[in-house]
Amino acid sequence: MENVATDEDWRVCFAQLGPGLVLFARQWVRSAADAEDIVQEAFVRFWRKQHSIQNRALLFATVRSIALDLLRRDGRRARREAEVVADSEQCTEPEFNFADENQQQLAAAVDRLPSEQREVLVMKIWNELTFADIASVLGISQNTAASRYRYALASLKKNFVAHE
Amino acid sequence: MNEFNDIELELSRLKPSAPSVNLEPRIEAALAQEITATPTAGVLPQRRIARFNWFAFGVSAAAAAAVAMFAILRFDQPAHTEQSAVAARTSPAAQENRAGTARPEAPTTFVPDGLTRVVYHTRDEGLVYHNKADAPVRRLRSRARETLQWKEPGTGASLRVSYPTEEVELIPVSGQ
Repeated sequence: MENVATDEDWRVCFAQLGPGLVLFARQWVRSAADAEDIVQEAFVRFWRKQHSIQNRALLFATVRSIALDLLRRDGRRARREAEVVADSEQCTEPEFNFADENQQQLAAAVDRLPSEQREVLVMKIWNELTFADIASVLGISQNTAASRYRYALASLKKNFVAHE
Repeated sequence: MNEFNDIELELSRLKPSAPSVNLEPRIEAALAQEITATPTAGVLPQRRIARFNWFAFGVSAAAAAAVAMFAILRFDQPAHTEQSAVAARTSPAAQENRAGTARPEAPTTFVPDGLTRVVYHTRDEGLVYHNKADAPVRRLRSRARETLQWKEPGTGASLRVSYPTEEVELIPVSGQ
C-alpha cells in the first residue's frame, strides 16, 4: 500500500496540520491542553491503523470522533461544556496570533458563529479541506457544507464590517 | 471574484497558534510505546469459564410458562363451547333463551390488527471506531414508538401495546 502512515512521515504531517488540528479540536473543549490530548490520541490511532496519509478527512474525522467520545464519557465535562454553549452560544475560543486589533475582532466574530458553521469554516480556511472532505467528516452533503460556509462568511462580513 | 473574497483574505491572515512544544515529543513517545508494546491480549488464549446463566434460564422458563398457559387456554376454549352447545341443545331453559335473549358463546380470540412505528428522532453521531475496528463506521441513533394492536372480531374489543424503542445503526463507510 502506498502512502500509508509510517513512523517517518507523521512529523511532516504534524508540522503541516498540527496547529489546524488543535484549533479544530478546541471546538469541543475549552482548554488547549485538552485539545492537544485529543490530537495526540488521534495521531496515535491514525498511525496505528496505517491509514493513507492522503486521507486528511479521516484524520479530522478521528479527531472529531475522539472529542465527541471524550465529551460523552465525561459526564461532568459534557454538562459543563453544554452550559458554556448554552450561556454564550459559542463553544470555540480559537487561539490565534493577532497582528492587530482588527484580527482580534475578527477572531471574536468567528467565535460568535453557530457551531455547525464554525467547524466548516475552521476546516476550510485553516485546514484547507475541500467541501468533499468536509462533507465526509461531518456526514453531510457537499452542498450543505458549502451553504454553511457561505452563511458563515456572510455573517462574518456583516458583523466584521459592522465592527470596523 | 466572489463577494466574500475580502473576508476570506482577512480570515486567511489569521494564523492559529502553534501547539505547545511538548506535544510533538508526547506523540512520539506514545507512538513508540504503541510499537514496542507486545500485543498479547489478542494472542493468549482466553480460559473459558463455564458458568450457569441464571438470567437466561429465568427468561426461558418464563417464556415457556407463558406459551404453556396460552396453549392451555386455547385448548380449553373449544371444549367449553362444545359443552355449552350440548347443554343448549338439551336444556329446555336454554332453548327458551335461544329463542329470546341467548348470548352467542364464542371463544375470545384476539387477532393482530395493526403495527405502527413512528420514528420521532434521528441523530447522526458521526464517524466512530466500533470495538477498535480498523475502519470507521457511521453511527445513526433513532428513537421510535412502536404500537401493536389486536382485535377480537366477535365483540370488537381491542388490545393495544405501545412502547418506546431506540435503535443504533452502524453503517460502514469508505474514507477513500
